[in-house]
Amino acid sequence: MEATTLGVVIKAIIILAIISAIAGFGTYLERKVLAFMQRRLGPMHVGPYGLMQILADGIKLFTKEDIIPQNANRLIFALAPVITAATAFIALSAVPVFPDFTIPSWIPLLGGTFVPSIAADINIGILFVLGMMAAGLYGPLLAGMAQANKWGIIGAARTAVQFLSYEVVTGLSILAPIMIVGSLSLVDFNNYSSEHGWLMFTQPVAFVLFLIGGFAETNRTPFDLLEHEAEVVSGYATEYSGMRWGMFFIGEYANMITVSVLSAVVFMGGYNDMWFLPGWLAIILKIAFVFFLMLWVRASWPHVRPNQLMWLCWKVLMPIAVINVVVTGIVIMV
Amino acid sequence: MSDEKTVENLITITIDGKEYKAKEGEYILNAARANNVFIPAICYLTRCSPTLACRLCLVEADGKQVYACNAKVKEGLDIVTQTPNILEERRAIMEVYDVNHPLQCGVCDKSGECELQNYTLEMGVDAQHYMITDTKRETANWSSVLHYDAALCIVCERCTTVCKDMIGDAALTTVKRGGADLDKAYKDTMPKDAYAMWNKLQKSVIAPSNGTGHTNCSDCGECIAVCPVGALTSRDFVYSSNAWELKRIPAVSAHSSDGFQIYYEVKPTSIEDRSEKIYRVTNEWNYVSLDGSARFAYDFENRDAKKDKEAFKKALDAFKKAKTIRFNSVITNEEALMLQTLKEKMGIKLYNPEVRAFQKFLSFYAKASGRSLYSADTDTILKKSDFVISVGLALRNDSPGLKYAFNNVQKLNKGAGLYFHPVGDTLIPTFGKSVECFTHKAGLEEAALYLILDLFADKEKLPEEVRAYIDSFKRMTKKTVKEKVMKEVVEITVDEETGESKEVKKKVPEEIEKEIEVEQNGLVELLGKESDAFADTFDKMTSKKETFSLMVGEDFYYHPKAENLAKLVALIEKTCHMNVVIAPPKSNALGVALICDLDDKAEGYTIGYNENGDFRISALGDGDLDMPALNQQEGTLTNMSKRVVPTNAALEYGGYELNDVIRELIGAPKETVEWTVKLPVSKGFKAVEFDTLPNEYKNDGSENRGYLLDIVMAETPMPKVEKFNEAEVLEGEIAYRCNPGRQFSDFTDKAHEIFEPFALYASRAKAESLGEKVEVVFENGSIVLDVIADDKILGDIVKVPDFKSAQNVYELFGDSRYQNVTIRKV
Amino acid sequence: MGLEQFKNRNIGTQNYKMLDLEQVPTRNFDKFKQVVKRTFKGELFVGLWVTLRAMINALFRGEMHAVKYPFEKLPISPRYRAIHEMLRLLESGHYRCIGCGLCEKICIANCISMNTRYDENQRKEVSEYTINFGRCIFCGFCAEVCPELAIVHGSRYENASEQRASFSLFEDMLTPIDNLNLQQEYQGFGAVTPYADDHIKKTPLAY
Repeated sequence: MEATTLGVVIKAIIILAIISAIAGFGTYLERKVLAFMQRRLGPMHVGPYGLMQILADGIKLFTKEDIIPQNANRLIFALAPVITAATAFIALSAVPVFPDFTIPSWIPLLGGTFVPSIAADINIGILFVLGMMAAGLYGPLLAGMAQANKWGIIGAARTAVQFLSYEVVTGLSILAPIMIVGSLSLVDFNNYSSEHGWLMFTQPVAFVLFLIGGFAETNRTPFDLLEHEAEVVSGYATEYSGMRWGMFFIGEYANMITVSVLSAVVFMGGYNDMWFLPGWLAIILKIAFVFFLMLWVRASWPHVRPNQLMWLCWKVLMPIAVINVVVTGIVIMV
Repeated sequence: MSDEKTVENLITITIDGKEYKAKEGEYILNAARANNVFIPAICYLTRCSPTLACRLCLVEADGKQVYACNAKVKEGLDIVTQTPNILEERRAIMEVYDVNHPLQCGVCDKSGECELQNYTLEMGVDAQHYMITDTKRETANWSSVLHYDAALCIVCERCTTVCKDMIGDAALTTVKRGGADLDKAYKDTMPKDAYAMWNKLQKSVIAPSNGTGHTNCSDCGECIAVCPVGALTSRDFVYSSNAWELKRIPAVSAHSSDGFQIYYEVKPTSIEDRSEKIYRVTNEWNYVSLDGSARFAYDFENRDAKKDKEAFKKALDAFKKAKTIRFNSVITNEEALMLQTLKEKMGIKLYNPEVRAFQKFLSFYAKASGRSLYSADTDTILKKSDFVISVGLALRNDSPGLKYAFNNVQKLNKGAGLYFHPVGDTLIPTFGKSVECFTHKAGLEEAALYLILDLFADKEKLPEEVRAYIDSFKRMTKKTVKEKVMKEVVEITVDEETGESKEVKKKVPEEIEKEIEVEQNGLVELLGKESDAFADTFDKMTSKKETFSLMVGEDFYYHPKAENLAKLVALIEKTCHMNVVIAPPKSNALGVALICDLDDKAEGYTIGYNENGDFRISALGDGDLDMPALNQQEGTLTNMSKRVVPTNAALEYGGYELNDVIRELIGAPKETVEWTVKLPVSKGFKAVEFDTLPNEYKNDGSENRGYLLDIVMAETPMPKVEKFNEAEVLEGEIAYRCNPGRQFSDFTDKAHEIFEPFALYASRAKAESLGEKVEVVFENGSIVLDVIADDKILGDIVKVPDFKSAQNVYELFGDSRYQNVTIRKV
Repeated sequence: MGLEQFKNRNIGTQNYKMLDLEQVPTRNFDKFKQVVKRTFKGELFVGLWVTLRAMINALFRGEMHAVKYPFEKLPISPRYRAIHEMLRLLESGHYRCIGCGLCEKICIANCISMNTRYDENQRKEVSEYTINFGRCIFCGFCAEVCPELAIVHGSRYENASEQRASFSLFEDMLTPIDNLNLQQEYQGFGAVTPYADDHIKKTPLAY
């Protein structure tokens, strides 16, 4: 028990560090990919191919002046970015990223230690993840309302509307796979797909709905209404600067990773070995693809209007999701 | 010249189909200008005689082509300003002007306000049909201020005309150019007037009339002002600024009492120093002519003055313990009123030796004549008089405006003039054939006035004893004169063809000797002229003359018998149908004289305003507290024409004003110009706000500047005048307090374009006998001066200037402008 | 190059291509149909393909359009209006400016200022000349109005500097005397057109 607790703590720290780093790296990737798709070069001058740009950005964010507007609610203003970042990382704690493995014995101290695939394998994993991501909406909501800025208020309003609505779609879309697998644990999903093949083929509608919901919940184009520059300056993040603003971003990228991992584990076969690829590499590639898809979509598609967004959610996606659940239920019963 | 300009003798003329009113006997061009009708003309100046050099003003009057500058209007005259022929002529004339005229308008100072540019565009000259070999014409500096670029000159002769007709110096003339002859073929192919004009133009160029290459004139710069092209410019201004960069600020000349309207033209000093600087002074040259001080003494501002709180505090203390304020006439009416208020509230004495004598003279005059102010001004003399008399006035030095008027009367009104002055002058006799100069002995000013009474007075009106006194100078002498008599003779002529003889009556002149009785006038002889010779010339001078004017000046105010002189002037005015102008000595002397209640003596702790004192407040930049100079403050000045004229601040001033001091001491409004409305109505001023005062000339030349002082008339008996004492004549070495031409005060001296030094001025002969440097010893002191020869002075009297207040020349001279002195070589 | 296409300023007659826009659906069912149609028509995937193709071409076929600016520079037009230059006379090396002040007058940003004086050779000398580049809007009027083609727009568009006063003095803008052989005749605004002679009426000369 002692060792397990220590392992959990160590894993938590590692995940926190790695995911933070990856989130930063995500921004680099995003800039590069968008640049390529627009026939540009993207960051080039800090380090080889601009790789150290993350570091430069990090230094910039940390050293920037921290501004709190005069009429803002200082406590909530300071708390909001922490909520976003924290919930994003907490959600990640229940997501299995790698298969279970034993640390090779030649490594001193930790050699021979069995490492389970997940920081906290809780039996309601998927519900927890979705719940934590949903809790993340308090970040932008409170930020927008605390900063005494009209763009922030609009951003906060859009947060409430958009995140709450799409929570429904995400939840309903993932209900059908849950019915099929019969468990809420993400490890069970992984195991199910190793036996029955990828859920994405048996549940294509659920997969598409989940992706759309995921885009909306991570505030990505074409659903980036919360902070759309052309409309609301920077929405909920208008008055933020420096590391506070950086935490929103880390949170957003962490959420993107969460959604990517969820899609990979739930619909795309998880960390099972695939052909000649070992499981760990397979899942990295899957996650990477979903992540790339998000960038790709951003480069290709325009964003939608708020009313279109709501119309799409309540009048199109939710009925389809419900129908999908019903049909799945009927198929299972028959 | 009988134009009493009343509404009755306005006539109606038609120009291009529209009816206009014009004054009888006026030139067509002036009538058109007065009515805002444009007739092109380069060479004509409104107040001068026509030159007929440019021939652009060709118009058709009643079907005949005439020059508008030279033809007079008649009742019902029908004038057409443009016909195909006239337009052709005008265009050809402009093309001719453009032949060989340098095209470097880019570097020309006149570019942008050049009449050649304007008319070339106006006439639509877009191609050149004429050509001639050019002559090399060099630039030259004619004097310390004049720069002439002959290559740019179009020989319109405006400079020579204005110098002769207006200024009186006649320092410029046309000389031969030595250019190529015109191609004879042009005579047939070119329009007639254009050819004639070109023929004249090609032969001449402008040069100083004394043949030396230097003008030796009064350096007034009026030729610069009238030059339509860039040929004549001020040496200081050459290539320093383009016309369009300068901002014009209407103001009033601050130095002579003429109060000419001027424009200060300002722009930033340089790229580094963005504070504004005056680059030049311009004027409405068609309506007013400036003297050298008005045009060139413009940079007398108190630059870089700051609000020095310490000095201000000290100044307040000084004012609190002051017994006297000493100042001069270079202040505005508003400042004069502030000082007067200070006197009333705090009992400080006001001491102003410059103005006090004038003020006294004015009050003597007012008491004797019943008029609060004299009757004439420069404008009425210029436009109406045909006989002017100047007594007690160093015309060239004291009052340039009156000099111009004196000259203009001779030149344009076919007038005559008498000039009485102890200091002989070579220039004034050249003003006209009918100018007689009396170089009398100093101290005989009263005799001159008695002579005027004798010559002009309505004898019926004269008091009995005055008539008797005048007659006592006359005696009858017998004289043999030759006289031409027409005698009728009968001749018998024989007709050659018929052989008949005829009696023909013929008139043949015959000289016979005759003895007549001639009245000898002792007054004339006393004043230094042959009595009978003068009687003849005087008869010629006065024939056909109708309007007479008298100018009196500063010699009278500083005269032991000033009161008697004032009474005599009043008597002349009452009995002689003569307008009188009493020339204020300097700047705003009239304003100060009217507003301030001046004291005779300074006593106790003295504050000097631009003058010596225990505490000096000064606009010259050398005092204990800075004050704004007249080009840095707004306010009004009272000029010789009895007009209260507004002046504006041309340059920024950062320090304290007199108003600030007054406000601290006794309370005052926020702005200096808020005093304008408070000027004493009892003295003829009007309660008018400063901002409502106009400052412009109208198209017909009438002056629309400020307002005229009200004159109060009262019935008074004939003044009782005293006889004069011949024994009081000054003999021996005499010094005369008189400034050189362009110097009036410390302010003119400060200006960098005024070069006349503080020195002793004497005729050439006298100067040679004196040597280079002398000490002039007065009764109560002495002064060491360099000697400068002035070719325009005649006689032995030397001139000692007073424009440097630090030299205290007023004290040396005391209450007379002439003093017996001892002059020692140093 | 013919200039006909520029001379036709009647924009109404040009050939615009009208986009084939469909009616905006108003009824809910129509809207639903539109969504279904768009979803299954694959238009979204066409969009995805376009960007992906661009990325592939950029990365592997050398169609990268970015110019690495400080290291690579694109050539600029002779009519480009960057920091001003003051040209010299090729023969004498004397600067062309005659100090006429027309540039100062026409400058709509009021940023040109000069001091002139009468020099020893009786010519107008420009003693100081400056352009306030904090104000200059690079409209090119000064180059156009200059009668001597003395002030022209150069090609120095990199005008970041530590001081506002940089570039702005006469000496900074003047062609260095040792680079006179490199001075290019200006082709931009106000330059003499190739056929200028045809439009000038000649003035007769007597010699």
